[in-house]
Amino acid sequence: MIYLDNAATTKPSERALKAAEKYLTEKYFNPSSLYRAGHELNLQLKEARKNIVSLIGDENKFSCVFTSGGTEADNQAILCGGKRGNIVTTLGEHSAVYEAVNEAKKRGIEVRFAELNADGSVNREHLLSLIDDKTSLVSVVHVNNETGAINDVAAIAKMVKTENEFTLFHSDGVQAFGKISFRLTKDIDLYSVSAHKIGGIKGVGALIKRKDLILKPLIFGGGQEENIRSGTENVFGIKCFEFAAIEKLEAINQYYDKIFVLKKLFCSLLDSTMFNILSSDNASPYIISLIVKGVRGETILHEVDDKGLIIGTGSACSSNGNKRHSRVILACGVDKQTADGILRISLSSETCEQEIRTAAKILNETVANRLRLMA
Amino acid sequence: MDRVIIVRYSELHLKGKNRGWFERVFAVNMEKSLKGIKHEIHRHSGRYLIENFCESDIDIILDRLGKVFGIHSFSVALKVGADMAEIFEAAKQVCFGKGKFKVETHRADKTFCLNSMQVSSEIGGRLLDENPLIKVDVHNPEFIVNIDIRENGTALVFNEFFKGAGGMPVGTSGKGMLLISGGIDSPVAGHMIAKRGMTIDCIHFHSYPYTNLQAREKVIGLAKQLSTYTCGTTLNIVSVTKIQEQIHSKCNGDYMITILRRFMMRIAERIALDCGAQCLITGESIAQVASQTVEGITSSNSVVKVLPVLRPLCGFDKDEIIERSRAIGTYQTSIEPYEDCCTVFLPKHPVTRPKLCDVLVEEEKLDVQGLVDEAVSTLEIISL
Repeated sequence: MIYLDNAATTKPSERALKAAEKYLTEKYFNPSSLYRAGHELNLQLKEARKNIVSLIGDENKFSCVFTSGGTEADNQAILCGGKRGNIVTTLGEHSAVYEAVNEAKKRGIEVRFAELNADGSVNREHLLSLIDDKTSLVSVVHVNNETGAINDVAAIAKMVKTENEFTLFHSDGVQAFGKISFRLTKDIDLYSVSAHKIGGIKGVGALIKRKDLILKPLIFGGGQEENIRSGTENVFGIKCFEFAAIEKLEAINQYYDKIFVLKKLFCSLLDSTMFNILSSDNASPYIISLIVKGVRGETILHEVDDKGLIIGTGSACSSNGNKRHSRVILACGVDKQTADGILRISLSSETCEQEIRTAAKILNETVANRLRLMA
Repeated sequence: MDRVIIVRYSELHLKGKNRGWFERVFAVNMEKSLKGIKHEIHRHSGRYLIENFCESDIDIILDRLGKVFGIHSFSVALKVGADMAEIFEAAKQVCFGKGKFKVETHRADKTFCLNSMQVSSEIGGRLLDENPLIKVDVHNPEFIVNIDIRENGTALVFNEFFKGAGGMPVGTSGKGMLLISGGIDSPVAGHMIAKRGMTIDCIHFHSYPYTNLQAREKVIGLAKQLSTYTCGTTLNIVSVTKIQEQIHSKCNGDYMITILRRFMMRIAERIALDCGAQCLITGESIAQVASQTVEGITSSNSVVKVLPVLRPLCGFDKDEIIERSRAIGTYQTSIEPYEDCCTVFLPKHPVTRPKLCDVLVEEEKLDVQGLVDEAVSTLEIISL
């Protein structure tokens, strides 16, 4: 089996799992409890918090709130950060942000969407033109989860603050963290990350926030996570996240270079008469968005699945006219018929050259055969 | 004092010499529906009593009995000895705390010391003495205390009648093969025919890899939901991918749906005959979609050689079908947004009033028998 749907989830790191195992089997105590064993776990959580933040920013200026994943982190940022006036975001956001701003709209906040460029990155000029003195939050995805387009969020955040210094800036960094070399700048207030995209386990994420930023809670209860996110902490999952993140961040550039080469190789191996590459050359090499000409992407997904190759599509298939096509791909200016043929190939640091060669071969053969049958 | 459930059946009393057989099938269906729940079913004249169950299971028993065809109504009752003191104790328990009421008594045991009127009067009087917040109103009561004095020295006391599913016990009217698509209509059609006592098997056509596994799971889910009314079902799953590809490449694309439906009917009849089904059932409703015009139905019907095709929804509006779908609990699954095989290779301008002669010309281009054989060879059977 060749797994190339790593933007959906990655295989958990065995090293991280092993190192964190004791927090599942031996050190199972409640980190909020007063006895020694519980207190020790509290210290372990503090260490995890410090280590994860320091991988991407200055630990003296940023802290993090552990959540149930990237989606919760995005919801926390949007619904607790964008409390008044208007929220400005992009048409290229993951559903976690897109649906959260729609919820904010129902609660009376105006929402403004910035257009995308053809590669899925945000049109900066349009984004900046939407900001005014009533903008309470701007949210821009760091790496587009469908096309891999990278938004220079540090530069965008700076421009946003120039437009309105009181506006909070959030970025969904789920597809960037642990893959793209990056440091949080002073202009970024909130940054969402997820564990299972980089070798951690599902159900764990974090909202990295400027230390002096006061956020109201989204989930109420026992007051954990500085009263921002109540609920007994998933110590095993968080420690696993910490170890996986360290593993990935330590060799981030090395992995990036390797994946960059593999992306180029993969694109060169695909038959250009049957495939168009939607992702730009300077997109994250971990995500390759393809368009199959004349066949629905989902049909190819099933066929290659039967041959042992697991890939993704740009959208969940649906006969519902509004959901059949990815709104992000349509926002890139792709027409509906072309958008039917979207496939997403996503790599991880584990992906090897042989897998890439075999995957390209399977895709070329499968699409050629399907086109012949449908002729 | 035991809690029991009285089950009254609907049309069985109309049956003559074969009534015993109807009753046996009915009892077996109730047993099947209550599988996994501790209980005993006892037959009494004109009704069944469900006894010896756990009090905590009452809701689930009522829910399941509500799906058994053949039940006219049921009541949760207290079973006591046919003794006025015991009857009164039970009556106190079923009596509301306040409001207008009356007592109704039926005596199967005509040797009981008081007649029905006297029992009602006596128990009603004692209840009034007990509770000043209730008063008798025999014309417009807010609740009725029912007393049923049986021949075996017991009495049943209850205050509520629940409406049953009606119809005839499944298994008393033969067996039909339901063409189930994954949409709203076909489960409703199956439910309606099962209500008249027919055992239902299902057949579903898919076009993997053009359709996905989620669409298949959706149909399995619908068949499962339907099976709660039909005391189980068998789902036959057949691939029509090759047929669609051949129609697409060799025939006028506008005839895709028309020709595909003819293939479906051929395959359904063949599998139906193999498994002993005596009719086909579809969820077609006149003029609902392009293929459901009378001309479209004529075209698909003409390939069915032996079996009748039942179309119980023919005269229904979509709204009526949706209402029934909600009532039987299949609606939410039916609207899950997965494509079925009819939406694959969908022509822009499908033929809505196909002439049979034109259809035959298009179909001539295909190896019909070979394609049917190939499709039948993909048959997968799931027992639900």
